[in-house]
Amino acid sequence: MRKPIAVLAAVTIAVTGLSACGSGASDKNDTSGGNGAAAAQGGDLVIVRPGDSVSMDNTMVFSNASIWVFQQMLESLYEVTPDGKDVAPLLAESHTLSEDKLTWTFKLKQGVKFSNGQPMTSADVKFSIDKARSTEGGWEFLDVAIKNIDAPDPSTVVITTKYPWAPLLADLANFSNAILPKDYAGKSKDEFLKAPIGTGPFVWDHWTKGSELKLVKNPKYWDTGKPSLDSVTWKLVPDDNSRNVQIQGGQAHINESPPFSSVEQLKGQPGVKVDLFPSTKTDYILMNQNEKPYDDVNVRRAISYAIDREALVKTLLFGNGEVANSFLMPGVVYYDKATPGIQYDMAKAKEELAKSSVPNGFTTTFLASSGDNTDQAIAQVLQSSLKELGITVKIQNVDPSAAHDLQNDMKYEISHSYWTMDIADPDELVTFAVDPDAGSKSFFTGYRNPAVIADVKAAQKSFDPAERQRLYSRIQKQAAEDAFLAFLYYSPFSYATSTKVKGFVALPTGNYHLEDVTLSK
Amino acid sequence: MRYLAYVLRRLVATVPVLFGISLIVFFMIHLVPGDPAKTLLGIRATDKAVAALQKSFGLDKPLWEQYLDFMGRLAHGDLGRSFFYNVDASELVSGRLPATLWLVVSATVLALLISVPLAVLAASRRGSALDQVIRAVPLVGLGMPAFWVGIMLVLVFGLKLRLFPVSGFGDDVAGHLRSIVLPALTVALALTPILIRSLRTSMIAVLDSDYVVTARAKGLTHRRIILSHTLRNAAVSSVTVLGVNVAYLVGSTLVVERVFALPGIGTLMLDSIFNRDFAVVQAVTLVFAVMVVAINLLTDLAHAALDPRVELS
Repeated sequence: MRKPIAVLAAVTIAVTGLSACGSGASDKNDTSGGNGAAAAQGGDLVIVRPGDSVSMDNTMVFSNASIWVFQQMLESLYEVTPDGKDVAPLLAESHTLSEDKLTWTFKLKQGVKFSNGQPMTSADVKFSIDKARSTEGGWEFLDVAIKNIDAPDPSTVVITTKYPWAPLLADLANFSNAILPKDYAGKSKDEFLKAPIGTGPFVWDHWTKGSELKLVKNPKYWDTGKPSLDSVTWKLVPDDNSRNVQIQGGQAHINESPPFSSVEQLKGQPGVKVDLFPSTKTDYILMNQNEKPYDDVNVRRAISYAIDREALVKTLLFGNGEVANSFLMPGVVYYDKATPGIQYDMAKAKEELAKSSVPNGFTTTFLASSGDNTDQAIAQVLQSSLKELGITVKIQNVDPSAAHDLQNDMKYEISHSYWTMDIADPDELVTFAVDPDAGSKSFFTGYRNPAVIADVKAAQKSFDPAERQRLYSRIQKQAAEDAFLAFLYYSPFSYATSTKVKGFVALPTGNYHLEDVTLSK
Repeated sequence: MRYLAYVLRRLVATVPVLFGISLIVFFMIHLVPGDPAKTLLGIRATDKAVAALQKSFGLDKPLWEQYLDFMGRLAHGDLGRSFFYNVDASELVSGRLPATLWLVVSATVLALLISVPLAVLAASRRGSALDQVIRAVPLVGLGMPAFWVGIMLVLVFGLKLRLFPVSGFGDDVAGHLRSIVLPALTVALALTPILIRSLRTSMIAVLDSDYVVTARAKGLTHRRIILSHTLRNAAVSSVTVLGVNVAYLVGSTLVVERVFALPGIGTLMLDSIFNRDFAVVQAVTLVFAVMVVAINLLTDLAHAALDPRVELS
């Protein structure tokens, strides 16, 4: 009877031996170095994330997992400042604006080269922005005011707009207007996108789709001495818990989005740091005004009053957020803290419903994405809150792709969505949310208030900050009174990082600059 | 020759099975609401852009025509192109298949290494305390969900003891070996209770048979009786049990791949369903189907090899 025991012993020895022979690799990535470890040059920064990139086409892609990667390779004329409220020159040196506010002349930074060694010139700028504004279904809406782009000499770019356009610099700072080499450096677009070339701190290495994407240091980067890292690898780890344990186990350095439920637990782990960066993420309840009774402002206001936002912040964000008062967020310029956004007040909710076309309540369907914890929690909170008003909420769970289609096609009654800013100007969100003719049907609600639309147009053309503030405050106040969305809460961007990582900051627009990041040994 | 003809016959019989599966999967995934073009273009997509992308994907054609296109490509060995990643589905699947195969094979080997000695031990000491423990304890593994077992193994062996990577697949063969231990153990722990019980029962039946009594009367040692006369006969039914369960596990690797962030075809399948990446969903389903058919075939061959009375016909 010794044989089976011997086999078991052999298995145990083999398994232990297997673990022992690999322990060197584990030590190499050990995070236990803690805060005392000195910053050093080099290293491969490993970032784990829940979703993979989709494409490297900066003019068409809307996925953050793609944008945050190609922004390490591609740079724009301007960049968003760390507070997210302004822009600063990046590949541009300076600019002047004509008296009639229609002609912008940009001087380009000297000595900037693409990673293939080719110098960056005004011809590249013209090519890139012309490409960005000619897409269909991409980010071309940001460039609608541009009439013409000229390149009179290699270091000068002249942009003429159709009408005075205040958000131009913010629009030019967007990744969709990043500067690529003219004619894709002689390649076809498809070939170029397989290994993009830019002026940024990192260059393409490889992408195993659905698994990992790696960039390596650009030795020709114009900002001498940067980046410190040798390479960056983004790895796809869909499971929340697996991403957290990879940080704890030292296999990864940055977790792009640890759930708020795990923030407290992660804070107590040695070698792990949790950051909650101020963001522009705002969550909303959408009410489709093409469906009765949501065309009635009293119904919308009643629902908005009935939502206990504090409870949502506590249960969904574990206290890591703030109740929203406006559809704009504190992280964007011209946000008005004094906006009288509707807050939880059941007595007022009942008053509003009594004035409405359905004083005794009604039955409605909440469209939710199955598997989305936020959607499920909001749906349940709404269901119990509205019960008190006599409104019966049925929850329609469909998978995320179908939910997305139904929302975009306005085939829903009430649902949930969110927004994060891409540019340092409120125009992007304001146009999307309250101008029904801008392509998004007013955040897919069908909201149309001519006075608000007129203010949006006026704010786009005004260069006076005080006047713009006045207009945006008025828009926020009126939009809140019209209750076209129920503003829920502002939440931060959560990141868990190894304490070996220094200098990592996520901007309120969500993107990050890895050229400033170091990794200690 | 007997084997070859049998294998060929079985492979030919697989074709209608795969055809049926392709038909069901194609229509199921296409009839579920959700449009890949809209998913890909995001919330700002104009109707014109969506229509243009649908046309480029061939989604503007009637469904039956799309199915014929799909079958036509399949006949030429082309599994189609991923809408989401803009690469061939076969490239995605072949890149992800190794991790799943590693998991299935390692889990099976580990399950055998654990269950055969324990079943032999339990059968040899039938009714003893050791037998009761061997029969009862592994049942706990059967009752626990794989994702929970996986997380517990990660916490103990990955984070506390730091013996194995917490997740991932490693970069080379040594890395794969280290990374696969915990996921394979998670799968094996669900498999062992069934194997132990099945093998133990078969062994007890065989140990009670007349020829074993004769062998004992002839003075053969217990070890010889077990190894030379009992195990092979008892293994026949357990091979069938193993085959059925491994085929089932091919589908359930999805959970384990997710918990351990293994870049296998299970996670690819899940992501592709959410993205409505039709070609990839169809390709992965066909690969799963082929794997299940192959495991069943191997089970039948092993059955025939172990038991000469089994005819391959």
